Amino acid sequence: MSEIGPPQSVEDIADPLAAQGRALGHDPFDDLVGTDPLTERLDQLEARGGPESRPRTRSAPRRKLTAAPPIGARSSAPQKTASPDENRPGSDNLARLTRRRWSTTPARAEIELPPPKGLIDRLLNPDERRILAALAHLVEGEAPYDRFGYSPEVMKRTFLLFHTLYRLYFRVRSEGHEHIPAEGPAVLAGNHGGLLPFDAAMAVIDIALETDPPRLARTIVDRWAGSLPWVNLFYARVGQVVGTRENFAKLLQDGQLLLVFPEGIEGIRKTIAHRYRLQAFRVGFIENALRARAPIVPVAFIGSDDQSPILFDIKPLARSLGIPVAPITPTFPWFGPLGLLPYPVSYRIVYGEPLRYHERFGPDGADDSRLVRYLANQVRRAVQLLIDRNRQ
Amino acid sequence: MTRILITHADEPIGRRIVKNLYHDPEVEIIFALGSGPPPRKFDAYLAGSEPRVTYTRLDHAKHRPVHDLFHSAAFRAADVDTVVYVPRHGAGASASTPLVGGLSERTAESRLLLQQCLETRAIRNLVAIGSAFVYRLPPGNANHLSEDSELNFDPNVMPEVRAWIDSDMIFHNEVNNDRLRVVLLRVPTVVAAGGYVYLHPSLAGRPGSRVRALGFDPICALVSDKDVARAVRAATRTPVSGIFNIAGEEAVPLSMLARWTGHTTIPVPGPLLGLVDATERALGIESRLGAGGGAHLRYGFTLDTKRAAEELGFRSQYRIGLARAGDGALRLETASV
Repeated sequence: MSEIGPPQSVEDIADPLAAQGRALGHDPFDDLVGTDPLTERLDQLEARGGPESRPRTRSAPRRKLTAAPPIGARSSAPQKTASPDENRPGSDNLARLTRRRWSTTPARAEIELPPPKGLIDRLLNPDERRILAALAHLVEGEAPYDRFGYSPEVMKRTFLLFHTLYRLYFRVRSEGHEHIPAEGPAVLAGNHGGLLPFDAAMAVIDIALETDPPRLARTIVDRWAGSLPWVNLFYARVGQVVGTRENFAKLLQDGQLLLVFPEGIEGIRKTIAHRYRLQAFRVGFIENALRARAPIVPVAFIGSDDQSPILFDIKPLARSLGIPVAPITPTFPWFGPLGLLPYPVSYRIVYGEPLRYHERFGPDGADDSRLVRYLANQVRRAVQLLIDRNRQ
Repeated sequence: MTRILITHADEPIGRRIVKNLYHDPEVEIIFALGSGPPPRKFDAYLAGSEPRVTYTRLDHAKHRPVHDLFHSAAFRAADVDTVVYVPRHGAGASASTPLVGGLSERTAESRLLLQQCLETRAIRNLVAIGSAFVYRLPPGNANHLSEDSELNFDPNVMPEVRAWIDSDMIFHNEVNNDRLRVVLLRVPTVVAAGGYVYLHPSLAGRPGSRVRALGFDPICALVSDKDVARAVRAATRTPVSGIFNIAGEEAVPLSMLARWTGHTTIPVPGPLLGLVDATERALGIESRLGAGGGAHLRYGFTLDTKRAAEELGFRSQYRIGLARAGDGALRLETASV
């Protein structure tokens, strides 16, 4: 086990392997096992900021809830509003007024289902309807959408289709759900693969099915997807959000569960020779997680890199067309757009133990670029280890 | 006790602010300006031998009338210490409106008013209402924007939005002024009782047909006109300066808002929006798109109001939704919760 000396520059931290002249992709983390090049720096930071307390937990009083009223006609539950006196600065109530409460969902057992209405309701089983009814509680106020465009009605229709794919087409097996926090902000960080983001879709379904109270995993999607007609609409209506810094921070502030693919577009560009070898991680999710005091849960997706194996990526063509990837796969472009559809591979989703960096470094750690880069590499390492252990 | 001057008090948001401040015991005198005759609702305020409200007709964009007002005996006697700049709601800043001294009407008004506030030593507070459409919108159906988000300096932005940005920058430049406390409130689409919508680049104005981008349905942040008045009241009382986002809880897609407000929308493929804009200009029709095709027709936003809550103590109190009116029709309404 080789030792890595103290970092000499930011570049050393940004890619410790590059400093040793090693290529990414061949067991990249072995040399880091047992070493901690920033220990001294981190201890200083810890001493300055002090260990952060665990995230605030809000134990909401349990009450019997009913399924959300029909969309368009729902009236929100009565909410405490501020009197003019309470709104005045300096009021003792100001802290309470400005504190955002987490968007929570009720437990399935607390949902009383109304009789099924319409074909979709009849096709869904009662447990699925309870899940969807619980997720509908994420929308507050009079409008049938939340602030990011999530629509429970669209989610209901989509859930039916994707749950069928989940069970019959991708035959998803998953484990480690106990590592997903039951409430409060959390960031799931996983590997990305496949030309179409079925890994994210399967994770959303899996998390909704396996958590109680059901949680909606909100995937952070690339800005490019937000500029595509209809695609942007679909993503928004099923709860996915374009990855801007403000969006990320707001969702965590509201106590939501985020699913990020820190490889970004590079993840889906991987050719078959590099499948399941993680690309460099972006660092924004670390900064936001530290600021929001959110744990990071590493997630391994086994199967996503096999669903549409890329033989070649014609980068000049992609650049000229303004698209992230111009792939050649065994079926694309030979079968036209149908060639983009995923193969019926078996999916396996593994959730790792949460990484509670926020407890050690606190929100101040987000301002240290070297620390953030280091932590991003640590998360990458954790995801890679999960993949390697479970890819059998 | 505060003595307040309000611009465009004859327009709906201005009327709402006058009404709110009229019932504020901390406000001694309201010096209301308007471009038209006083609204009938002001009759009660203007009655009596020594009314708390005075109303003056004025062309806000012309230098001479504004200068004369601020140097008039009546104004000096009122001893105004706070100015509330309410922008005109209509399409005054559109391409078809004549420019004032080479500037759009809204920009000219903002500049003149700020100049007079800086020159009049008695005035110590300026509260200006700006638009949240000044932000640059990243791709996405809904983007959460804070006061620190980037502004839209795209040269192809529509004239209405450009005028908002110019006005915003004029006030923004003085938020650190030592003598004059400047508060800029950025508000999204304002909804008033009866289904009226103000300050939206596309939907403001009379019901009719509007163009929208095919395959996009951006989320629109909403705020009640009553909440805007409450925010102005909070800004006049609170000794802070700076820029604050003001918004309500509701956010709805553009198509739904258009339907609620009686507009019909015509979906046009994105690449053709620029062509539609050019055609409208050629025909002399008021342009609601801009050469860039109107980013607000593709990408939506909601606002982070945390700063307003923490520093101004403002939190929205009115909900916006459809309600059945007396004639049985469903209308967009606001209601206190």
